Amino acid sequence: MPSQRTRRELLGRGVLAGGLGLAGATVLLPAEAAAATAAASAPPSNIAVLGRLVRLEELILYAYQHVLASSLLPSSAQPVVAGLRNQEQAHIHALSAALSVLGGTSPAGPVNLAAADKDLSHRNVSQRLGQLRGGKDALRLLLAIEHVAEGAYYVAMSELSGPTLLRLGAEIMASEAQHATVLTVLLHPVDLTQAVPYGLVQGRR
Amino acid sequence: MKKVPLVVRQADVTIFNRSLYLERQAIAAYVAGIPLLNMSEAKVAKQFLNQELEHAGELLGLIAAAGGKPIPRAPSYDIGHPRDAREVFTILHGLEANQIATYLNAIPRLSPGPVRAAVASILANDAQHVSILRLELGDSPAPAAFVTGRE
Repeated sequence: MPSQRTRRELLGRGVLAGGLGLAGATVLLPAEAAAATAAASAPPSNIAVLGRLVRLEELILYAYQHVLASSLLPSSAQPVVAGLRNQEQAHIHALSAALSVLGGTSPAGPVNLAAADKDLSHRNVSQRLGQLRGGKDALRLLLAIEHVAEGAYYVAMSELSGPTLLRLGAEIMASEAQHATVLTVLLHPVDLTQAVPYGLVQGRR
Repeated sequence: MKKVPLVVRQADVTIFNRSLYLERQAIAAYVAGIPLLNMSEAKVAKQFLNQELEHAGELLGLIAAAGGKPIPRAPSYDIGHPRDAREVFTILHGLEANQIATYLNAIPRLSPGPVRAAVASILANDAQHVSILRLELGDSPAPAAFVTGRE
């Protein structure tokens, strides 16, 4: 088992809607109501799911970039976190390309810190990028958002269709799970059991 | 909270049984390898063993929900003959990576969606095992943005 220092060195090696409006005069016939109910329970389209995932990945990328630019992280963690940031960029490129093939348009990322923090709040992440108080705080925020990513991909695996997108979704979900593990090792380098706490990865939803 | 039972297709039982074989092979490897590890390594490996047992239980549940029959346990599994911790980690890494590749091939063939999600949650955990095993072997724990089982 590598020592704490050795483990840090290893990590540092370059890893490293609408709905049915009842207002107004519209009255649905039974057949229309049945069709509307079916539409409401139908799975979202691949375009919708991919758009949702790109939007989340853009937020994650923003968070990584903000943390890296803040100089809050110890120097040993910087290359590790930069490596994870690069992988998030690769996820965005792949998802955006898939979205483009389907005729969709990739949503933009957060326009500023306030927008990013608002989105984090919307996703029930308690930490704020604008209120980070040190390296551990920053790593905890990144870990929390990786758990959100795990949950988003877990849901997406039920909704996506087609072998290429399903494989892509599964490969990225596994990558986000690895990111959570790496971030936990940075937070708790002595006890590796904390890095893989659950046998079934479902993230935060 | 009561878990909503999954609708599982009989047609997918063969896929689950193939995965169950690999989970049991990994379980056998952890059981055989743990005595060769030091205390802190063994603590982590025991946790991974319990998680592999959980995966096997999940697959058995899916097979039962489909009205299928699980394959019987093999009398023995080919897990090599490790002599030290490094060889144990190398074997475990290979088995976990093989599971990942198998799950990735299986997921697009599974239906309905919640079954795919259930299997993806196992796959993601195996990817985490690979990260820690790679660390133990002195390798980068997350070498690629897309986990394929070939890293």
